[in-house]
Amino acid sequence: MDVFITNYYETGAVILFGIGFATLMLHRNLIKKIIGLNIMDTAVFLFFIAKGYIFGKDAPIIVDKFKGVDSYVNPVPSALMLTGIVVAVTTTAFALALTIKLYQHYGTVDLEDILKMRGDQND
Amino acid sequence: MTNYIPIINILILILFSFVMMLFKDKKKIKYISIGSNLVVFLLSIFLMVYSISREVITLSIGNPNNLLGIEFYIGKSESVVTLVFTFVMLMILWFSNFALEKEVPENRISFFYVLINILLASLLGVIYSNDLFNSYVFIEVSTLSACGIIILKDKKENIKATVKYLIMSTIGSGLVLMAIAYIYSITGHLNISLIHETIVGNYQYHENAVLIILGLFTIGLGIKSAVFPLHSWLPDAHSSAPTPASAALSALVIKVYVFMLMKVLFRMFNYEIVNSFIIMDIILLLGSMGMIFGSIMAIMQKELKRMVAYSSVAQMGYIVFGIGLGTVTGTAIAIYHIIGHAVTKSSLFLISGLFIEKTGSKKIEDLKGIGREMPLTLGLFTLGAFSMVGIPILPGFISKWYLSLTCIEVGRVPLILIILASSLLNVLYYFPIVINGYFGNDNLDGKVYNSKKVEFIRILPIVLLVLAMMIIGGISFNLIELFNI
Amino acid sequence: MNFAVLLPILIPIISGFIVGLSKPAYNRRNTIVISTTIINLFLVVYIVLFKTNTLFHMVKINELLNLYLMPDNIGKTFAILVSALWIFTTFYSIDYMGKGDGLNKFFMFYLITEGVTLGIAFSGNLITLYLFYELLTLSTFPLVIEKGSEEALRAGKKYLIYSFFGATMVLFGIILLFSQTQNLSFVPGGVVGILVYDNKNLYLMVYLLLFLGFGVKAALVPFHSWLPSAMVAPTPVSALLHAVAVVKSGIFALGRMTYFVLGWRVIDFTGGNRYTLILVLLTILMGSFLAIHQENLKRRLAYSTISQLGYVMLALVIFEDSAYVGGFLHMLFHATVKITLFFCVGAIMHYEKKTELSEIAGIGKRMPKTMISFSVASFCLIGIPPTNGFVSKWFLAIGGLDQGNYLIPIILLLSAFFTAAYLIPVISTAFFKGDPSKEVEVSEPKNFMLVPIILLAAINIILGFFPNWLINTIQATANKLF
Repeated sequence: MDVFITNYYETGAVILFGIGFATLMLHRNLIKKIIGLNIMDTAVFLFFIAKGYIFGKDAPIIVDKFKGVDSYVNPVPSALMLTGIVVAVTTTAFALALTIKLYQHYGTVDLEDILKMRGDQND
Repeated sequence: MTNYIPIINILILILFSFVMMLFKDKKKIKYISIGSNLVVFLLSIFLMVYSISREVITLSIGNPNNLLGIEFYIGKSESVVTLVFTFVMLMILWFSNFALEKEVPENRISFFYVLINILLASLLGVIYSNDLFNSYVFIEVSTLSACGIIILKDKKENIKATVKYLIMSTIGSGLVLMAIAYIYSITGHLNISLIHETIVGNYQYHENAVLIILGLFTIGLGIKSAVFPLHSWLPDAHSSAPTPASAALSALVIKVYVFMLMKVLFRMFNYEIVNSFIIMDIILLLGSMGMIFGSIMAIMQKELKRMVAYSSVAQMGYIVFGIGLGTVTGTAIAIYHIIGHAVTKSSLFLISGLFIEKTGSKKIEDLKGIGREMPLTLGLFTLGAFSMVGIPILPGFISKWYLSLTCIEVGRVPLILIILASSLLNVLYYFPIVINGYFGNDNLDGKVYNSKKVEFIRILPIVLLVLAMMIIGGISFNLIELFNI
Repeated sequence: MNFAVLLPILIPIISGFIVGLSKPAYNRRNTIVISTTIINLFLVVYIVLFKTNTLFHMVKINELLNLYLMPDNIGKTFAILVSALWIFTTFYSIDYMGKGDGLNKFFMFYLITEGVTLGIAFSGNLITLYLFYELLTLSTFPLVIEKGSEEALRAGKKYLIYSFFGATMVLFGIILLFSQTQNLSFVPGGVVGILVYDNKNLYLMVYLLLFLGFGVKAALVPFHSWLPSAMVAPTPVSALLHAVAVVKSGIFALGRMTYFVLGWRVIDFTGGNRYTLILVLLTILMGSFLAIHQENLKRRLAYSTISQLGYVMLALVIFEDSAYVGGFLHMLFHATVKITLFFCVGAIMHYEKKTELSEIAGIGKRMPKTMISFSVASFCLIGIPPTNGFVSKWFLAIGGLDQGNYLIPIILLLSAFFTAAYLIPVISTAFFKGDPSKEVEVSEPKNFMLVPIILLAAINIILGFFPNWLINTIQATANKLF
């Protein structure tokens, strides 16, 4: 149990990941699926950034004077996650745009219902 | 200078895709697209020739000591795969130059060329990149552009298929990202070679973590490359997309993720490590199931493109099977099958597109007697089908043969039965098309010879692809030697 | 000039494509087809006489895909048989097929099949043979479904599925074998040798896989049912399929496998031939037993083929040199005999439109020469001395006795009795049934058809009287093997 408490960031991230994953898999509503997707991504961001963070150290920005290598946290994960966020936003935007299109064509955002409908009968 | 070809390739493609957006005239866009792809293809030939004489080409970008910077890693297999992919893409572009107008609304044609350039750039990025996070970004870019070319047709079923594809592949990339986070937390590196150095001595202290990483990578990349039980998005996406897009998706896109999986399994870890986990047996099982069930489902299809798409699921089974054997030869055959299948499946998809365009029907049963109307086209289809079925010397046979030999080598003889059963199943769905196309009075009645002939310039890319297929079959031994590292 | 070995394979294929693609008119096409087959016979004879132990590499991709041709005595004999009978069939089918439209396609595949069959004859190793074996399936398939009807397509698909099933088993066997020996070339006595002591069961499996796999084409029971279905093909094709091309290629491949790849000592050691012997005996009995019940003449002959192929396969499961000689002789004799029978039945079908046994009453008066040829061939097949069928069966029976297996001569006799039971009724119906008082106008087939029939019947008789030179030739190879 101790393991989980000492690594509460990671524990939290994994739980969040599970929640996101479950939402993505289990919900029929497309919007909820997209929300699940975002939760999942956020969980990974949290996990990653937690890996780079060391308690009591500063962000690697030099203010006034250089405090030595040991007093800054690892900047790489944060930098990576910046890219990660961009990717996630793009995907979300694309998915939402598709959802709008889908709603225009099918009149519903329930994926199960949409999948049950036959494709283009009129062409 | 040759060292920089990989990055030049990617930059050319991406820059020109932006240049294209500046133009309104579709003709110019086509020329730019084909031109830039041609340049990339020529550079890839150069790269391959250069890399064959060397062990490995590495290229560090941003930071020379590759701790922080991004590194490209081009071995022999990477350069050959690049060459084949750029060739196939060039042929697809040539084909779409004549075919796209018939399927895609006028105002969207320029998007296709823009997206294809970005797609190829990102695929090459995944192949070259030696940096996990960089690969991840390229994977996302490729997914989005792949979704883009599916949805170009703007029909209901395309949107549906795209949504399905997008959701499935975001699950996949979520899992991959999580796996990258895990590996970073264990090793503190993102560079595959550095991870390898770190993990080889230490993996036994992190057995569970390594198992989770392997599992996440396998499932995540497995979803994206349509490995059997995770393939449900593929038939919809690949069959509804415009023909050139289907060809690109089936021939190239799904392969790249498997290639990435190979990098992760065998270069980031190594054979010894992965073989000590149960994951390899699971991969082997997935491959076997894909080979059988993919074919069975292909038999049940009534639409041509869906059938060809399911056949891709079966063929991915072969590739995954080769990986799952967990030996150097197995991997070499998997890579060989990647390139062999890339040329075969792209030509099959392009031919299916021609059939559908000329007959106006997607159904397999409407293809009866097509051999009289389009003899050359069906002839090319037959050759592709022969490769799938495994007639000697064609690539399909070579893969099956070496896979079987490797099965014996690792002492899993019964698995050969699966390979053979799968090739018999291939006969059952490819041959009826050929037979009903060429033979049978009922089928041929009322069909006029060569009536639906296509101009030769349109078939030429398919002819070239089929020729490439035969060449790949002919030099199979050298290729497999090359991959055998 | 080792290249010459490739020519008999290449020329028919090329001229086949010429016929298929340039679509010549009737006369022109006939000239091409006839001259191709005749030139081919000369080429084969040239190779037989002047090319000993020539080796021609077609493609060498690696140790495995090393395709080469190497005509040896057995291959040469088979090649002569193929190219000679092909000429007869060519003349016959020009008359039989008539002047229809789609015949260019027919003759295209007809010629290609000849090239491919010669490829089987000249193959120098198992993988080359396998390649041609697959191509044979593909090139004969359009011939089988020439009629294009629903029934023909169904039969064709059955043929295709059976053949690919067999080929897959063969491939499995080849893979296993190659993984052990790394060598698939044809060497008298086999390439396995003492390796068999390492892994007896594996070699047993290889043997069974290869035997059953090639057995599909050789119509081994229980894989025989494609053969009667394939009777929907035009008669010249059926004749060729049965007498030469397909089933004999199956037998030829079996022989190669038994004596030149695995080696009979190896098979004897694994004991695999005990299982296959049962299947072979079953084939002999079941084929002739089922033939009796067939009303349709062509189907009757088809089942007869199954039974006769059993005789030939007998030589491949009892390893005695006299059985080998008998089997080999029977393979050649059955080819000439069965092709005669088929040609006669085909002539009746073509000119009189009669296909059933009950319909041909009294036809002996209408087509006396044809029916006499039929009778001659029938006596040969039954094995009444001094016909050729008697010679080969005699050697087979002696082989069985040498083994100390008294069952074999008994089964041979029993089957000869059955053979009589299904062929004699045809003859008696033709000559003695029907109204004897009715005057019948004699109407023989045209010369294109009749001459091949009579020539073949004559060949059967000659071979029956003078089999010694053939026996000696075959005995010479047998001495090398045993």
